[in-house]
Amino acid sequence: MGIVAVALFAVLFFRLWALQVISGDDYLKSARSNQIRAFRIQPPRGPILDRDGVALVTNVPGTIVRLWPADVPDGRLDETVRRLSELLDVPEKELWQSVRARAGDPLTPVVVKTNVHDAKANYLDEHQAEFPGVRVGPTQLRRYELGSFAAHLLGYVGEITELELRQKGEGYAGGDRIGKTGVEAAYDDYLRGQPGVGQVRVNALGERTSGLVPSRMPQAGYAVRLTLDTDLQGAAEDALRWGVQFARENGSWAANGGAIVAMNPLNGELLALASYPTFDPSVFSGRPDPNKVQQLFDPEVSAAANHPMLNRAVSGLYPAGSVFKPVTALAAMSEGILDPYELISCVPERIIDKQKFVNWDPYRNEAMQLRTALSNSCDTYFYDVALRFYDLPPERGNPLQDWAKKMGIGIETGIDVGPESAGLLPTPAWRKRHFDTAIDRLWSSGDSVQLAIGQGDLLVTPLQMTRFYALFANGGKLVEPHLVKSIEQPRAEGETGPPVVLRTFAAKPPQGLDLNPSFIQVVREGLWDATHDANYGTSYGVFGFYEVPIAGKTGTAEKFVTLPEGYLGTDQPFARLMDQAWWCGWGPYEGESWGGKKPLVVCALVENGGHGGEVAAPVALRVFAEYFDTPLPAIAPRESD
Amino acid sequence: MATEPGIWHARSRRRRPQAGADVGHFLRSLDYVLLAATTGLVAYGLWVIRAITGDDVAADPSYYFVRQSIYVGVGVAALVGATLVSPDLLRRYRHVLFGATLALMIVVFVLGSAVRGSRRWIDLGSFQFQPSEIGKLALIVFVAGFLAERAKRIDQAGTVLSAIGLAMVPVLLVFFEPDFGTALVYLAATVSVLFFAGVRFGHLASLGVAAAGLAVALLWGLPAAGIQVLRPYQIDRLVGFLDPDSDPSGSTYNITQSITAVGAGGLDGRGVAGATQTNLNYLPEHATDFVFASLAEQRGFLGASILLLLYALVVWRGIKVVAVAHSLFSASVAGAIVGAFLFQIFLNVGMTIGIAPITGIPLPFISYGGSSMITSLAMIGMLQAIHARGRLAGNR
Repeated sequence: MGIVAVALFAVLFFRLWALQVISGDDYLKSARSNQIRAFRIQPPRGPILDRDGVALVTNVPGTIVRLWPADVPDGRLDETVRRLSELLDVPEKELWQSVRARAGDPLTPVVVKTNVHDAKANYLDEHQAEFPGVRVGPTQLRRYELGSFAAHLLGYVGEITELELRQKGEGYAGGDRIGKTGVEAAYDDYLRGQPGVGQVRVNALGERTSGLVPSRMPQAGYAVRLTLDTDLQGAAEDALRWGVQFARENGSWAANGGAIVAMNPLNGELLALASYPTFDPSVFSGRPDPNKVQQLFDPEVSAAANHPMLNRAVSGLYPAGSVFKPVTALAAMSEGILDPYELISCVPERIIDKQKFVNWDPYRNEAMQLRTALSNSCDTYFYDVALRFYDLPPERGNPLQDWAKKMGIGIETGIDVGPESAGLLPTPAWRKRHFDTAIDRLWSSGDSVQLAIGQGDLLVTPLQMTRFYALFANGGKLVEPHLVKSIEQPRAEGETGPPVVLRTFAAKPPQGLDLNPSFIQVVREGLWDATHDANYGTSYGVFGFYEVPIAGKTGTAEKFVTLPEGYLGTDQPFARLMDQAWWCGWGPYEGESWGGKKPLVVCALVENGGHGGEVAAPVALRVFAEYFDTPLPAIAPRESD
Repeated sequence: MATEPGIWHARSRRRRPQAGADVGHFLRSLDYVLLAATTGLVAYGLWVIRAITGDDVAADPSYYFVRQSIYVGVGVAALVGATLVSPDLLRRYRHVLFGATLALMIVVFVLGSAVRGSRRWIDLGSFQFQPSEIGKLALIVFVAGFLAERAKRIDQAGTVLSAIGLAMVPVLLVFFEPDFGTALVYLAATVSVLFFAGVRFGHLASLGVAAAGLAVALLWGLPAAGIQVLRPYQIDRLVGFLDPDSDPSGSTYNITQSITAVGAGGLDGRGVAGATQTNLNYLPEHATDFVFASLAEQRGFLGASILLLLYALVVWRGIKVVAVAHSLFSASVAGAIVGAFLFQIFLNVGMTIGIAPITGIPLPFISYGGSSMITSLAMIGMLQAIHARGRLAGNR
């Protein structure tokens, strides 16, 4: 008996020694991890400021209801989800999807709803026992101070998707809110800040037994200062709305979209970037209202509303029309196939390879120099120039396209806030690649003729054209358009004094194009005449009497448009050629500034808006009037190309 | 040790202490080392319970401590009573004692309140009584008495089988409560009685083989044949004991958390406030079945060793009592008490550190609970009674 007793006690002692003394540290670790639950503490997202520091996007405190499925006792999840869905008007199906998506991740709660009404939040608080695993807490909601103002470029935030989580990888976790579009997405790294880690102690039932103890404080996101001028952006948005309305009153009933780009031609700072129609990004704040979001994402609904999420200034693709003519002129002079002072006949129509091409003005019949041809936007003049390109020996390649590409046509501008479309600059090689039948694959004289006047297969973005027109104001250089000026330390409320700038995005030095300055000057003069020559100028009626010297070109680009059923209330789909109204130009025509303001280059586009001189030019005028702080002059727009 | 029961028997007849013997003489013949070790265990146990259960009842940190103290009070009375009552008196009335206990157990079966699926308790208002604890004493006394009466036929297989047959009645009753752990303790006590009563080694050995066969049948043979004797949770626990990592959040949750608690205690413990396994309820039943794990977490290897040394002291003195017992009956009762203690300590401590299967038996003197505390103290009282009478009879 004694021996048995000694043996048994010895076994117990040895085992205890092994557990407690030899491997005690391992068990200590697992005991600790047992009761500590780590949480990510989301940092406040940085604000987005305009060029003068005016807050465009900030945060507001809101109430958030979260559900920790792992903390709901077995068998009560059904009931909890059902009751939550009833109380908070969240579709039960949707809530279940979120719950299932979180299976296996006990640390990240499901966001049931943000911006919960106080009465409902209080009800949840008071009935904690009936809603196990549900917690009501404070959160920060994105606030778009000016509603739909600059919605396309500011963008919106949303919960990270599984796909994004896989792509972004480190530093991101499920449930994070990240920028989805615009500045919110492009500068997400700066805006989101560093999440902190907090710990709470929980007991075996998952109930909290301590407050949240931060083990790493979250670091607030940085402020992003844009180059955007709030007043000018507002004026551009207003002008666009006005332009669409004006176009409709002028008989272009299908006008329902457009874009304006206003840029400093010297350094590429974007002062306004408007796109119409637009949307309210606060729809995405918190848990998005499924009905409203669906309107934005549903292909049919979105098409009928003319794609309000599309940022037309950066990714809308249009034929350039006559605003492309300066490209043709510069390319032809640089290739030595056009003397700006030679006279080329401007006639109502030309037959080229048995195909008839007309001038927009059927009554014009005279010989013109380049300056007048630009001023009057004579199509037949440029058909002649186009044929000179077409007739070049094959070893000369495709100089028109090469020059166009050099001037930024059909390539991405490199803007820092995307997504950007490159557009399409058709070449014989592209035609060969893109088409199937032998006749289509051949680059014909008609293709050259079309391209020379910015028609045919050419597709550009308003931003590309703005960048091109900037070179008339900066001495022939290509700038890189950009929207963000600097990254700053976010300021506490009421804090004044100079901002702490952490990083400045210096404008890329403008790129010289080796263009002969005299060629540029000839085109400049043509564009000046376009706005100031009473006999020929296509937008003379708009800019001719304006106190600020503005030069620029109209464009009326024909585009085959398919309008869906429901578009502006139509009851059937509709397809035909429609005129896209363009105007691009700059002011002041000469000099470093006007009235203390630096030069500004503007492109305005009204979709299906009719004639550029009638619709787009007055729209651009409104932007100049705001920028140069002048009264809006009386205008007498006339039919133009 | 128990090689010449006949001589002890004869001596006990000859040197029987007279009724009304000198009180001082009686007091002097008690085992004070055993008493001191018991006092130490009880005091240590109260201290441990107070530290472990401080957080369990929100409004009253000493809820369990106060109740346990009351049980200790009752237990001390039981100890004194058992010391004063002559073991021979118990022997004479063993049938009554045994019958009454069996009756109580049957009552438990019919009326008892179920806690976590098993019926072990009789509800007496504010106190829940667990007859199977007292039953341990009754079983020991009854089987020891039965064998002492048949001392001359002790080497016959029939005697041994009869004794086992009688013992199996309460064993089976407890087993089907179900209380697998206590049934094992009963078996251990029965084997101890047989051993100290002088059963032939060959018989004991064949008993062991039979037990092994039974175990195999219970765990594998009968389930394979479609007969379930052990409940699924009992099998899970036995399997879980052999392979603790098989299902950490399910059936082996208890053992995983228990080992973690013990291991986390380290050399000198995590203290009362730092013992998170206990305080945050990761450790199940930390005041009763898993009290040792809690103690080990709070006080570490040193604290646990103090307890084990106190137990060793009790067991050592208990074995001494067997040696001074003045009769075969007394010796086998004392031996069975020590055997039961030893087995229960090993089974309970062993299960918290993963070397014995999980069974719901209390740790003597430490686990919170009245029946166990009172029974354990009464058993110490019986050891004292046997010791005192053995000493007075001049047997050293």
